[in-house]
Amino acid sequence: MSQEKDKEISEAVMKGLGRVIEPDFKKDLVTLKMIEDLSVKDGIVTFTVILTTPACPLKEEIKKACLEALKPIEGIRHVDIHMTARTTGGGAKEGKAEIEGVKNVIAVSSGKGGVGKSTTSVNLAIALTELGAKVGILDSDVYGPNIPLMLGINALPKQVNNRWFPPKVYEIPVMSMAFMAPPGAPLIWRGPMLHGIITQFIRDVEWGELDYLVVDMPPGTGDAQLSLAQLVPVTGTVIVTTPQEVALSDARRGLAMFQKVNVPILGIVENMSTFHCPNCNHETPIFSQGGGEKAAIELKVPFLGRIPIDLSIRVAGDEGRPIGISHPESPLSAAYLKIAGNIASRISILNSEFQPITLGTLA
Amino acid sequence: MPAPTPQSIDAPDRRRVRIVWRDGHESIYENRYLRLSCPCASCVNEWTGERTLREADIPKEIRPASWHLVGQYALSIEFSDHHDTGIYSYELLRKLCPCPLCHPVSG
Repeated sequence: MSQEKDKEISEAVMKGLGRVIEPDFKKDLVTLKMIEDLSVKDGIVTFTVILTTPACPLKEEIKKACLEALKPIEGIRHVDIHMTARTTGGGAKEGKAEIEGVKNVIAVSSGKGGVGKSTTSVNLAIALTELGAKVGILDSDVYGPNIPLMLGINALPKQVNNRWFPPKVYEIPVMSMAFMAPPGAPLIWRGPMLHGIITQFIRDVEWGELDYLVVDMPPGTGDAQLSLAQLVPVTGTVIVTTPQEVALSDARRGLAMFQKVNVPILGIVENMSTFHCPNCNHETPIFSQGGGEKAAIELKVPFLGRIPIDLSIRVAGDEGRPIGISHPESPLSAAYLKIAGNIASRISILNSEFQPITLGTLA
Repeated sequence: MPAPTPQSIDAPDRRRVRIVWRDGHESIYENRYLRLSCPCASCVNEWTGERTLREADIPKEIRPASWHLVGQYALSIEFSDHHDTGIYSYELLRKLCPCPLCHPVSG
Protein backbone atom coordinates (compact mmCIF):
# COMPACT_ATOMS: atom_id res chain seq x y z
CA MET A 1 0.00 0.00 0.00
CA SER A 2 1.28 3.43 -0.90
CA GLN A 3 2.19 6.23 1.45
CA GLU A 4 -0.36 8.32 -0.36
CA LYS A 5 -3.11 5.93 0.63
CA ASP A 6 -1.92 5.96 4.27
CA LYS A 7 -2.07 9.74 4.26
CA GLU A 8 -5.60 9.62 2.95
CA ILE A 9 -6.59 7.19 5.70
CA SER A 10 -4.93 9.35 8.33
CA GLU A 11 -7.01 12.35 7.29
CA ALA A 12 -10.18 10.27 7.27
CA VAL A 13 -9.35 8.97 10.76
CA MET A 14 -9.02 12.50 12.17
CA LYS A 15 -12.31 13.43 10.53
CA GLY A 16 -13.96 10.33 11.99
CA LEU A 17 -12.59 10.97 15.49
CA GLY A 18 -13.80 14.55 15.16
CA ARG A 19 -17.29 13.09 15.30
CA VAL A 20 -16.72 11.08 18.50
CA ILE A 21 -18.24 13.01 21.39
CA GLU A 22 -16.74 12.77 24.88
CA PRO A 23 -19.88 12.18 27.00
CA ASP A 24 -18.76 14.29 29.99
CA PHE A 25 -17.46 17.31 28.12
CA LYS A 26 -19.98 17.09 25.28
CA LYS A 27 -17.34 17.98 22.69
CA ASP A 28 -15.48 15.84 20.16
CA LEU A 29 -12.13 14.19 20.89
CA VAL A 30 -10.20 16.23 18.31
CA THR A 31 -11.47 19.58 19.59
CA LEU A 32 -10.63 18.46 23.13
CA LYS A 33 -7.09 17.61 21.92
CA MET A 34 -7.46 14.10 23.30
CA ILE A 35 -5.91 12.38 20.27
CA GLU A 36 -2.14 12.06 20.02
CA ASP A 37 0.53 10.06 18.14
CA LEU A 38 -1.65 9.11 15.19
CA SER A 39 0.22 7.01 12.67
CA VAL A 40 -0.92 4.96 9.69
CA LYS A 41 1.33 2.39 8.12
CA ASP A 42 0.19 -0.06 5.49
CA GLY A 43 -3.39 0.40 6.60
CA ILE A 44 -2.58 -0.19 10.28
CA VAL A 45 -3.84 2.70 12.38
CA THR A 46 -2.43 3.45 15.83
CA PHE A 47 -3.19 6.42 18.08
CA THR A 48 -3.39 7.39 21.74
CA VAL A 49 -6.44 8.77 23.53
CA ILE A 50 -5.46 11.06 26.40
CA LEU A 51 -8.07 11.01 29.14
CA THR A 52 -8.32 13.67 31.83
CA THR A 53 -8.22 11.05 34.59
CA PRO A 54 -6.91 7.48 34.76
CA ALA A 55 -10.04 6.70 36.78
CA CYS A 56 -12.31 7.64 33.86
CA PRO A 57 -15.42 5.42 34.03
CA LEU A 58 -16.07 6.01 30.32
CA LYS A 59 -12.76 4.53 29.14
CA GLU A 60 -14.30 1.51 27.39
CA GLU A 61 -17.22 3.48 26.03
CA ILE A 62 -14.90 6.01 24.39
CA LYS A 63 -12.72 3.29 22.91
CA LYS A 64 -15.76 1.55 21.44
CA ALA A 65 -17.06 4.82 19.97
CA CYS A 66 -13.66 5.41 18.31
CA LEU A 67 -13.66 1.97 16.69
CA GLU A 68 -17.24 2.50 15.55
CA ALA A 69 -16.38 5.86 13.99
CA LEU A 70 -13.48 4.40 12.00
CA LYS A 71 -15.42 1.42 10.66
CA PRO A 72 -16.67 3.09 7.44
CA ILE A 73 -13.14 4.16 6.39
CA GLU A 74 -11.86 2.09 3.50
CA GLY A 75 -8.39 0.62 3.52
CA ILE A 76 -7.99 0.22 7.30
CA ARG A 77 -6.66 -3.24 8.12
CA HIS A 78 -6.33 -2.85 11.85
CA VAL A 79 -6.86 -0.23 14.58
CA ASP A 80 -4.71 -0.11 17.69
CA ILE A 81 -5.85 2.35 20.40
CA HIS A 82 -3.78 3.19 23.47
CA MET A 83 -5.68 4.71 26.35
CA THR A 84 -3.68 6.84 28.75
CA ALA A 85 -4.33 9.77 31.06
CA ARG A 86 -2.93 13.11 32.01
CA THR A 87 -4.85 14.13 35.08
CA THR A 88 -5.91 17.74 34.98
CA GLY A 89 -5.33 19.92 38.02
CA GLY A 90 -7.87 22.18 39.62
CA GLY A 91 -8.12 25.87 40.17
CA ALA A 92 -8.56 25.25 43.85
CA LYS A 93 -5.05 26.53 44.45
CA GLU A 94 -6.23 30.06 43.95
CA GLY A 95 -5.59 32.10 47.06
CA LYS A 96 -4.09 29.14 48.94
CA ALA A 97 -0.76 27.45 49.41
CA GLU A 98 -0.09 24.76 46.84
CA ILE A 99 0.68 21.18 47.81
CA GLU A 100 3.72 20.22 45.82
CA GLY A 101 3.10 17.41 43.34
CA VAL A 102 -0.61 17.11 44.17
CA LYS A 103 -3.02 17.76 41.30
CA ASN A 104 -6.39 17.50 43.02
CA VAL A 105 -7.62 17.45 46.59
CA ILE A 106 -10.84 15.65 47.51
CA ALA A 107 -12.25 16.55 50.92
CA VAL A 108 -14.45 13.84 52.42
CA SER A 109 -16.74 15.44 54.96
CA SER A 110 -19.95 14.88 56.90
CA GLY A 111 -22.39 17.06 58.77
CA LYS A 112 -22.03 14.86 61.87
CA GLY A 113 -19.88 12.06 63.23
CA GLY A 114 -20.40 8.31 62.95
CA VAL A 115 -21.63 8.13 59.38
CA GLY A 116 -18.58 6.23 58.07
CA LYS A 117 -16.60 9.12 56.70
CA SER A 118 -13.18 7.59 57.39
CA THR A 119 -14.23 4.20 56.01
CA THR A 120 -15.46 5.96 52.88
CA SER A 121 -12.20 7.94 52.56
CA VAL A 122 -10.07 4.81 52.79
CA ASN A 123 -12.15 2.80 50.35
CA LEU A 124 -12.39 5.67 47.87
CA ALA A 125 -8.62 6.05 47.92
CA ILE A 126 -8.21 2.34 47.25
CA ALA A 127 -10.84 2.37 44.48
CA LEU A 128 -9.15 5.35 42.76
CA THR A 129 -5.81 3.52 42.98
CA GLU A 130 -7.43 0.44 41.49
CA LEU A 131 -8.70 2.55 38.60
CA GLY A 132 -5.11 3.54 37.86
CA ALA A 133 -4.69 6.85 39.69
CA LYS A 134 -1.92 7.85 42.10
CA VAL A 135 -3.57 8.61 45.42
CA GLY A 136 -2.61 9.78 48.91
CA ILE A 137 -4.58 10.14 52.13
CA LEU A 138 -4.43 13.02 54.59
CA ASP A 139 -6.23 12.09 57.79
CA SER A 140 -7.09 15.45 59.27
CA ASP A 141 -9.76 14.20 61.63
CA VAL A 142 -8.68 16.12 64.70
CA TYR A 143 -11.00 14.25 67.05
CA GLY A 144 -10.51 10.62 66.07
CA PRO A 145 -7.78 10.06 63.50
CA ASN A 146 -8.05 6.30 62.89
CA ILE A 147 -7.09 5.88 59.25
CA PRO A 148 -3.68 4.33 60.12
CA LEU A 149 -5.60 1.67 62.09
CA MET A 150 -7.98 0.95 59.21
CA LEU A 151 -5.04 0.52 56.86
CA GLY A 152 -2.93 -1.47 59.31
CA ILE A 153 -0.12 1.09 59.36
CA ASN A 154 2.39 0.69 62.17
CA ALA A 155 5.20 2.82 60.75
CA LEU A 156 5.62 6.51 61.49
CA PRO A 157 6.56 9.19 58.98
CA LYS A 158 10.29 9.77 58.59
CA GLN A 159 11.66 13.25 58.98
CA VAL A 160 14.70 14.20 56.91
CA ASN A 161 15.91 17.80 56.59
CA ASN A 162 12.55 19.20 57.68
CA ARG A 163 10.72 17.13 55.07
CA TRP A 164 8.21 14.51 56.17
CA PHE A 165 8.12 11.20 54.30
CA PRO A 166 4.75 9.54 54.94
CA PRO A 167 4.49 5.76 55.39
CA LYS A 168 3.00 3.99 52.38
CA VAL A 169 0.50 1.17 52.27
CA TYR A 170 -0.97 -0.39 49.10
CA GLU A 171 1.08 2.28 47.26
CA ILE A 172 -0.85 5.02 49.10
CA PRO A 173 1.17 7.54 51.17
CA VAL A 174 -0.69 8.35 54.39
CA MET A 175 -0.31 11.28 56.77
CA SER A 176 -2.41 11.37 59.91
CA MET A 177 -3.05 13.43 63.00
CA ALA A 178 -2.63 10.09 64.80
CA PHE A 179 1.12 10.17 64.05
CA MET A 180 1.35 13.38 66.06
CA ALA A 181 0.06 11.93 69.34
CA PRO A 182 0.55 8.73 71.33
CA PRO A 183 -2.32 6.21 70.93
CA GLY A 184 -5.10 6.59 73.47
CA ALA A 185 -4.12 10.12 74.45
CA PRO A 186 -6.99 12.59 74.12
CA LEU A 187 -6.55 14.95 71.21
CA ILE A 188 -7.17 18.51 72.15
CA TRP A 189 -6.29 20.83 69.35
CA ARG A 190 -6.55 24.53 69.86
CA GLY A 191 -7.14 26.68 66.81
CA PRO A 192 -3.58 27.97 66.28
CA MET A 193 -2.05 24.51 66.92
CA LEU A 194 -4.36 22.94 64.39
CA HIS A 195 -3.55 25.68 61.94
CA GLY A 196 0.17 25.05 62.46
CA ILE A 197 0.02 21.31 61.99
CA ILE A 198 -2.20 21.44 58.91
CA THR A 199 0.10 24.04 57.39
CA GLN A 200 2.98 21.63 58.04
CA PHE A 201 1.08 18.77 56.43
CA ILE A 202 0.55 20.90 53.36
CA ARG A 203 3.99 22.47 53.13
CA ASP A 204 6.46 19.92 54.47
CA VAL A 205 5.18 16.50 53.38
CA GLU A 206 6.76 14.71 50.43
CA TRP A 207 3.66 13.29 48.79
CA GLY A 208 5.35 12.51 45.48
CA GLU A 209 3.30 12.91 42.30
CA LEU A 210 -0.40 12.45 43.13
CA ASP A 211 -3.49 12.64 40.93
CA TYR A 212 -5.70 12.83 44.01
CA LEU A 213 -5.16 13.53 47.67
CA VAL A 214 -8.12 12.31 49.72
CA VAL A 215 -8.55 14.40 52.87
CA ASP A 216 -10.56 12.86 55.67
CA MET A 217 -12.11 15.91 57.31
CA PRO A 218 -13.18 16.18 60.95
CA PRO A 219 -16.95 15.59 61.25
CA GLY A 220 -19.30 18.49 61.72
CA THR A 221 -19.44 22.07 60.57
CA GLY A 222 -17.47 23.96 63.18
CA ASP A 223 -14.43 26.15 63.26
CA ALA A 224 -11.91 23.33 62.68
CA GLN A 225 -13.69 22.21 59.52
CA LEU A 226 -14.03 25.71 58.18
CA SER A 227 -10.39 26.61 58.68
CA LEU A 228 -9.35 23.28 57.13
CA ALA A 229 -11.53 23.93 54.11
CA GLN A 230 -9.78 27.26 53.81
CA LEU A 231 -6.23 26.08 54.45
CA VAL A 232 -6.24 23.03 52.21
CA PRO A 233 -6.60 23.77 48.48
CA VAL A 234 -9.72 21.63 48.06
CA THR A 235 -10.78 20.83 44.48
CA GLY A 236 -14.15 19.63 45.69
CA THR A 237 -15.88 17.95 48.57
CA VAL A 238 -17.75 14.68 48.95
CA ILE A 239 -20.43 14.66 51.64
CA VAL A 240 -21.05 11.33 53.36
CA THR A 241 -24.43 10.79 54.96
CA THR A 242 -26.64 8.00 56.31
CA PRO A 243 -30.10 7.50 54.78
CA GLN A 244 -32.43 8.65 57.56
CA GLU A 245 -34.37 11.91 57.53
CA VAL A 246 -32.13 13.75 59.98
CA ALA A 247 -29.26 13.10 57.59
CA LEU A 248 -30.88 15.60 55.28
CA SER A 249 -30.54 18.42 57.80
CA ASP A 250 -26.91 17.48 58.52
CA ALA A 251 -26.06 17.26 54.85
CA ARG A 252 -27.69 20.64 54.31
CA ARG A 253 -25.51 22.20 57.02
CA GLY A 254 -22.34 20.69 55.56
CA LEU A 255 -23.26 21.85 52.12
CA ALA A 256 -24.00 25.38 53.27
CA MET A 257 -20.59 25.59 54.90
CA PHE A 258 -18.73 24.65 51.72
CA GLN A 259 -20.92 26.86 49.59
CA LYS A 260 -20.13 29.78 51.87
CA VAL A 261 -16.44 29.48 50.98
CA ASN A 262 -17.11 28.52 47.33
CA VAL A 263 -15.70 24.99 47.56
CA PRO A 264 -17.42 22.92 44.83
CA ILE A 265 -19.62 20.02 45.99
CA LEU A 266 -18.70 16.83 44.10
CA GLY A 267 -21.77 15.06 45.45
CA ILE A 268 -23.35 12.98 48.20
CA VAL A 269 -22.51 9.38 49.14
CA GLU A 270 -25.18 7.46 51.05
CA ASN A 271 -23.47 5.14 53.51
CA MET A 272 -25.05 2.30 55.56
CA SER A 273 -27.86 1.98 53.04
CA THR A 274 -29.59 -1.35 53.76
CA PHE A 275 -28.57 -4.43 55.73
CA HIS A 276 -28.56 -7.71 53.89
CA CYS A 277 -28.92 -10.39 56.57
CA PRO A 278 -26.48 -13.24 55.92
CA ASN A 279 -28.74 -15.71 57.79
CA CYS A 280 -32.20 -15.14 56.34
CA ASN A 281 -31.34 -13.08 53.24
CA HIS A 282 -33.78 -10.41 54.33
CA GLU A 283 -33.02 -6.79 53.42
CA THR A 284 -33.50 -4.41 56.34
CA PRO A 285 -33.21 -0.65 55.82
CA ILE A 286 -31.93 -0.07 59.39
CA PHE A 287 -31.35 3.63 58.84
CA SER A 288 -34.30 3.97 56.45
CA GLN A 289 -33.52 4.42 52.78
CA GLY A 290 -33.15 6.98 50.03
CA GLY A 291 -32.29 9.90 52.36
CA GLY A 292 -28.98 10.58 50.63
CA GLU A 293 -30.54 10.64 47.21
CA LYS A 294 -33.40 12.81 48.44
CA ALA A 295 -30.88 15.23 49.95
CA ALA A 296 -28.95 15.34 46.67
CA ILE A 297 -32.10 16.15 44.70
CA GLU A 298 -33.27 18.78 47.16
CA LEU A 299 -29.87 20.43 47.41
CA LYS A 300 -29.29 20.12 43.64
CA VAL A 301 -25.96 18.28 43.87
CA PRO A 302 -25.01 14.96 42.23
CA PHE A 303 -25.85 11.72 43.99
CA LEU A 304 -22.66 9.65 43.76
CA GLY A 305 -23.93 6.28 44.98
CA ARG A 306 -24.86 4.16 47.99
CA ILE A 307 -22.92 1.68 50.11
CA PRO A 308 -24.92 -1.01 51.96
CA ILE A 309 -24.25 -1.99 55.57
CA ASP A 310 -22.05 -5.03 55.47
CA LEU A 311 -20.16 -6.71 58.25
CA SER A 312 -17.20 -7.35 55.98
CA ILE A 313 -16.56 -3.59 55.55
CA ARG A 314 -16.33 -3.15 59.30
CA VAL A 315 -14.25 -6.32 59.82
CA ALA A 316 -11.91 -5.38 56.98
CA GLY A 317 -11.43 -1.92 58.49
CA ASP A 318 -10.77 -3.27 61.97
CA GLU A 319 -8.22 -5.72 60.61
CA GLY A 320 -6.45 -3.05 58.62
CA ARG A 321 -7.20 -4.70 55.28
CA PRO A 322 -9.91 -2.61 53.58
CA ILE A 323 -12.58 -4.33 51.54
CA GLY A 324 -11.12 -3.28 48.17
CA ILE A 325 -7.93 -5.16 49.13
CA SER A 326 -9.33 -8.14 51.06
CA HIS A 327 -12.39 -8.73 48.82
CA PRO A 328 -11.85 -6.99 45.46
CA GLU A 329 -14.53 -9.20 43.89
CA SER A 330 -17.29 -8.20 46.35
CA PRO A 331 -20.24 -6.04 45.21
CA LEU A 332 -19.15 -3.56 47.87
CA SER A 333 -15.80 -3.04 46.14
CA ALA A 334 -17.74 -2.55 42.90
CA ALA A 335 -19.91 0.09 44.61
CA TYR A 336 -16.81 1.99 45.72
CA LEU A 337 -15.29 1.74 42.23
CA LYS A 338 -18.44 3.24 40.74
CA ILE A 339 -18.43 6.14 43.19
CA ALA A 340 -14.70 6.73 42.62
CA GLY A 341 -15.27 6.87 38.85
CA ASN A 342 -18.12 9.36 39.31
CA ILE A 343 -15.91 11.56 41.47
CA ALA A 344 -13.03 11.44 38.98
CA SER A 345 -15.22 12.55 36.10
CA ARG A 346 -16.84 15.32 38.16
CA ILE A 347 -13.36 16.65 38.95
CA SER A 348 -12.30 16.53 35.29
CA ILE A 349 -15.38 18.55 34.36
CA LEU A 350 -14.80 21.07 37.16
CA ASN A 351 -11.18 21.52 36.09
CA SER A 352 -12.19 22.08 32.47
CA GLU A 353 -14.67 24.76 33.53
CA PHE A 354 -12.31 26.54 35.88
CA GLN A 355 -11.48 30.16 35.08
CA PRO A 356 -8.93 32.02 37.20
CA ILE A 357 -9.63 35.44 38.71
CA THR A 358 -7.19 38.08 37.51
CA LEU A 359 -5.99 40.25 40.36
CA GLY A 360 -4.43 43.53 39.24
CA THR A 361 -1.27 45.01 40.77
CA LEU A 362 -1.52 48.03 43.03
CA ALA A 363 0.49 51.13 42.16
CA MET B 1 -27.83 30.04 43.87
CA PRO B 2 -24.05 29.92 43.40
CA ALA B 3 -22.27 32.97 44.80
CA PRO B 4 -21.23 35.61 42.24
CA THR B 5 -17.63 35.26 41.11
CA PRO B 6 -15.31 37.97 39.78
CA GLN B 7 -13.45 37.58 36.53
CA SER B 8 -10.97 40.34 37.34
CA ILE B 9 -10.20 42.72 40.17
CA ASP B 10 -8.01 45.77 39.64
CA ALA B 11 -7.43 49.41 40.49
CA PRO B 12 -8.13 51.55 37.39
CA ASP B 13 -6.67 54.59 39.20
CA ARG B 14 -5.51 55.56 42.70
CA ARG B 15 -9.01 56.32 43.93
CA ARG B 16 -11.03 53.30 42.96
CA VAL B 17 -11.27 49.50 42.78
CA ARG B 18 -12.97 47.81 39.85
CA ILE B 19 -14.47 44.30 39.66
CA VAL B 20 -15.67 42.76 36.42
CA TRP B 21 -17.96 39.87 37.31
CA ARG B 22 -18.29 36.62 35.42
CA ASP B 23 -21.89 37.48 34.53
CA GLY B 24 -20.63 40.62 32.78
CA HIS B 25 -21.60 43.12 35.49
CA GLU B 26 -19.05 45.80 36.40
CA SER B 27 -18.68 47.31 39.87
CA ILE B 28 -16.59 50.36 40.71
CA TYR B 29 -15.93 51.21 44.35
CA GLU B 30 -14.38 54.33 45.87
CA ASN B 31 -11.45 53.26 48.08
CA ARG B 32 -12.87 55.01 51.12
CA TYR B 33 -16.30 53.42 50.65
CA LEU B 34 -14.64 49.98 50.70
CA ARG B 35 -12.67 50.80 53.83
CA LEU B 36 -15.81 52.09 55.56
CA SER B 37 -17.67 48.90 54.60
CA CYS B 38 -15.05 46.64 56.23
CA PRO B 39 -16.89 43.63 57.74
CA CYS B 40 -14.19 42.64 60.29
CA ALA B 41 -14.85 42.26 64.01
CA SER B 42 -13.03 45.45 64.94
CA CYS B 43 -15.17 47.51 62.55
CA VAL B 44 -18.55 45.85 63.19
CA ASN B 45 -19.96 44.59 66.50
CA GLU B 46 -20.29 40.85 66.04
CA TRP B 47 -23.42 40.56 68.16
CA THR B 48 -25.45 43.58 67.23
CA GLY B 49 -24.10 44.13 63.71
CA GLU B 50 -23.62 47.77 64.68
CA ARG B 51 -20.80 49.56 62.88
CA THR B 52 -18.23 50.64 65.47
CA LEU B 53 -15.85 52.19 62.97
CA ARG B 54 -16.04 56.00 63.03
CA GLU B 55 -16.17 57.60 59.62
CA ALA B 56 -14.18 60.60 60.83
CA ASP B 57 -11.25 58.33 61.72
CA ILE B 58 -10.68 57.25 58.14
CA PRO B 59 -8.38 59.48 56.11
CA LYS B 60 -9.77 60.95 52.86
CA GLU B 61 -6.90 59.63 50.78
CA ILE B 62 -7.07 56.03 51.97
CA ARG B 63 -6.33 53.30 49.42
CA PRO B 64 -5.47 49.59 49.25
CA ALA B 65 -1.76 49.01 49.87
CA SER B 66 -1.81 45.28 49.11
CA TRP B 67 -4.36 42.56 48.52
CA HIS B 68 -4.69 38.84 47.95
CA LEU B 69 -7.38 36.29 47.21
CA VAL B 70 -8.64 34.16 50.11
CA GLY B 71 -9.48 30.61 49.08
CA GLN B 72 -12.18 30.54 46.43
CA TYR B 73 -14.50 33.01 48.08
CA ALA B 74 -13.01 36.34 49.12
CA LEU B 75 -10.58 39.23 48.72
CA SER B 76 -8.40 40.38 51.60
CA ILE B 77 -7.30 44.02 51.51
CA GLU B 78 -4.60 45.78 53.51
CA PHE B 79 -5.35 49.50 53.47
CA SER B 80 -2.88 52.36 53.66
CA ASP B 81 -3.93 52.92 57.32
CA HIS B 82 -2.47 49.41 57.99
CA HIS B 83 -5.91 47.95 58.60
CA ASP B 84 -5.66 44.43 57.15
CA THR B 85 -8.26 42.27 58.93
CA GLY B 86 -11.08 42.77 56.45
CA ILE B 87 -12.01 39.73 54.37
CA TYR B 88 -14.45 40.83 51.69
CA SER B 89 -16.38 37.82 50.42
CA TYR B 90 -17.45 38.04 46.77
CA GLU B 91 -21.02 37.86 48.01
CA LEU B 92 -20.48 40.96 50.15
CA LEU B 93 -18.64 42.81 47.38
CA ARG B 94 -21.52 42.17 45.00
CA LYS B 95 -23.97 43.49 47.62
CA LEU B 96 -21.79 46.58 48.07
CA CYS B 97 -21.86 47.41 44.35
CA PRO B 98 -22.88 51.08 44.29
CA CYS B 99 -24.09 51.20 40.68
CA PRO B 100 -27.66 52.47 40.03
CA LEU B 101 -28.67 49.05 38.71
CA CYS B 102 -27.85 47.36 42.05
CA HIS B 103 -29.02 50.33 44.18
CA PRO B 104 -31.75 52.11 42.25
CA VAL B 105 -32.61 55.56 43.61
CA SER B 106 -36.32 55.68 44.37
CA GLY B 107 -38.49 58.54 43.09
